[in-house]
Amino acid sequence: MTIGGPGAVGPGVNAVSTSLDASVALSARPGFAEVASEQLDAVYRYLVFLTGDRVAAEDLAAETFEKAFRSWRRFDPRRGTPRTWLCRIARTVAIDWFRAETRRRRREETYARELAVAGDAVFGEGLSAPLEQALRELSPAEREVVALRVLLELDGPSAARVLGISQTACSTRLSRALRRLEERIGDVRE
Amino acid sequence: MSASDVIGTERLEALLRGDAPRTREESARGALLSELRGAMLHAPETLRERVLATAPVPRRLSLRVPSRRLALVVVPAALGLAVAAALVHGFTGSGGQTVQHGVAAAPTVVGAAKAQPSTVFRAATGSAAGGAPSAPSSLPAQVAPPVGSGGRLQHTEASLQVRVPDVGRLSAATSAATRIATSLGGFAQSVVYRTPQSGGGASYIELRVPAQNVRAALAKLAALGSLVSQQVSVQDLQHDFAVESAQIAQLRRTVAALQKALRNPALPDAQRVLLQIKLAESKRALSQRLHARTGTVTSGTTARISLVLSTEKSIVPVVHHRGRLGRMLHSAVGFLGLEGTIVLYALIVAGPLALAVALVWGLARLRRRRDEQRLLTA
Repeated sequence: MTIGGPGAVGPGVNAVSTSLDASVALSARPGFAEVASEQLDAVYRYLVFLTGDRVAAEDLAAETFEKAFRSWRRFDPRRGTPRTWLCRIARTVAIDWFRAETRRRRREETYARELAVAGDAVFGEGLSAPLEQALRELSPAEREVVALRVLLELDGPSAARVLGISQTACSTRLSRALRRLEERIGDVRE
Repeated sequence: MSASDVIGTERLEALLRGDAPRTREESARGALLSELRGAMLHAPETLRERVLATAPVPRRLSLRVPSRRLALVVVPAALGLAVAAALVHGFTGSGGQTVQHGVAAAPTVVGAAKAQPSTVFRAATGSAAGGAPSAPSSLPAQVAPPVGSGGRLQHTEASLQVRVPDVGRLSAATSAATRIATSLGGFAQSVVYRTPQSGGGASYIELRVPAQNVRAALAKLAALGSLVSQQVSVQDLQHDFAVESAQIAQLRRTVAALQKALRNPALPDAQRVLLQIKLAESKRALSQRLHARTGTVTSGTTARISLVLSTEKSIVPVVHHRGRLGRMLHSAVGFLGLEGTIVLYALIVAGPLALAVALVWGLARLRRRRDEQRLLTA
């Protein structure tokens, strides 16, 4: 399954969730298995960008869907798309993981976690080496806004809701992250 | 100059939507977005299997109501319940009895005194009825109830409200009332005489007169001025008297028997002690019953009359006679007021607490957001 490409949807609409939105509009609640199957790649991709660690992202994605399953009855399609809802859960799970990692690092007093060995494709096959390197140098907060807006194609309000910030702040953060990416790519190429 | 300096938010949104770039910077940004989107990144099959293994069979849509909607249901339901409770309270508390009032009811009420232990006679005339005061001379004979049925022990309580023209007449009427009680073999238990500087005045007199003279006393007292209202209640004490007399007789027989038994010299000591205890108890009970019967007799032979002499109309309370529906509504409104008071007290007590909790929750949330931000920007 691939995430929808650019221009596949109209303005302000999430590409992949379009079919789900249609079902929501008809007040038909999708089944959890259907949602999980359809959104797994998106959630995994978001977690990879957020953590910069594929192994951790895999574990966190599994944990995210476990939590989502437990709270599936609370999901209200009228308040947001399944993708937005899952990303919020994934973010909570990832933040817990970040906290645990921070504590572990303090305890071990070493920077044990390494994003990846240079040359490994963490953020996806097909990315140029400078872009891969530039993504590694971004902060998790910057990478996650790129993932939400660019890769998962969430609209501004949905991404802001996931991040828990205002739409303006979300746009600013995205703009800054892309600018930094371009600057890093330029630095690497030079 | 960096690209973000020239690519505004609107253009960036347009590029995200797939619009064609217009400038060289936008082309670079578009290429970056395309490269990011073109990367292949799929969840591993192991993860897919793991996730789908946890995904259960789709459940049926539950009937769970969202919390906000639940509040929209619960609050009106609670209000409806409160009103319903008030109406039920009003309905059950309104009672079915009617109060007999008016001059025409007097003969039948008193005639029924034998069948009913307690009866009430009320009469309202003059200003209390909203009309002009009647002539003092004609009222007493007309409205004085024929109380004090011969041959039966009855306790009579009466209250009269009489209006006099001025303070001078008020003083004279007060003195006359005490004289009337004395002349009929009774006495004035208490007299409260008030003449405020603002004008007018009133005197509140508690009289005790022999039961056989109640009728005469009421007639004479009503003649002191314009009778505004009169209420007489008669409580039959004959049954109480009979019960107490029977108990006294029984106790006297018991005492006599015990005393006779105790005079037997062959009585064992243990049994003697028991009989002496029983004798003491019986004597104490006999004393109590005698005292109670004396009180009953006193109550039945002495009537109590509460007289209010006033120079003002306003001093006389207006009696509202409500129907069953009116009483029910009145009671329901009172109950609703009680409920409102309870809710108000609860809000006053719980309000600051809820505010403090909300404040703490808000601060904790803010702190958590900052921690998260710090964590992700590190």
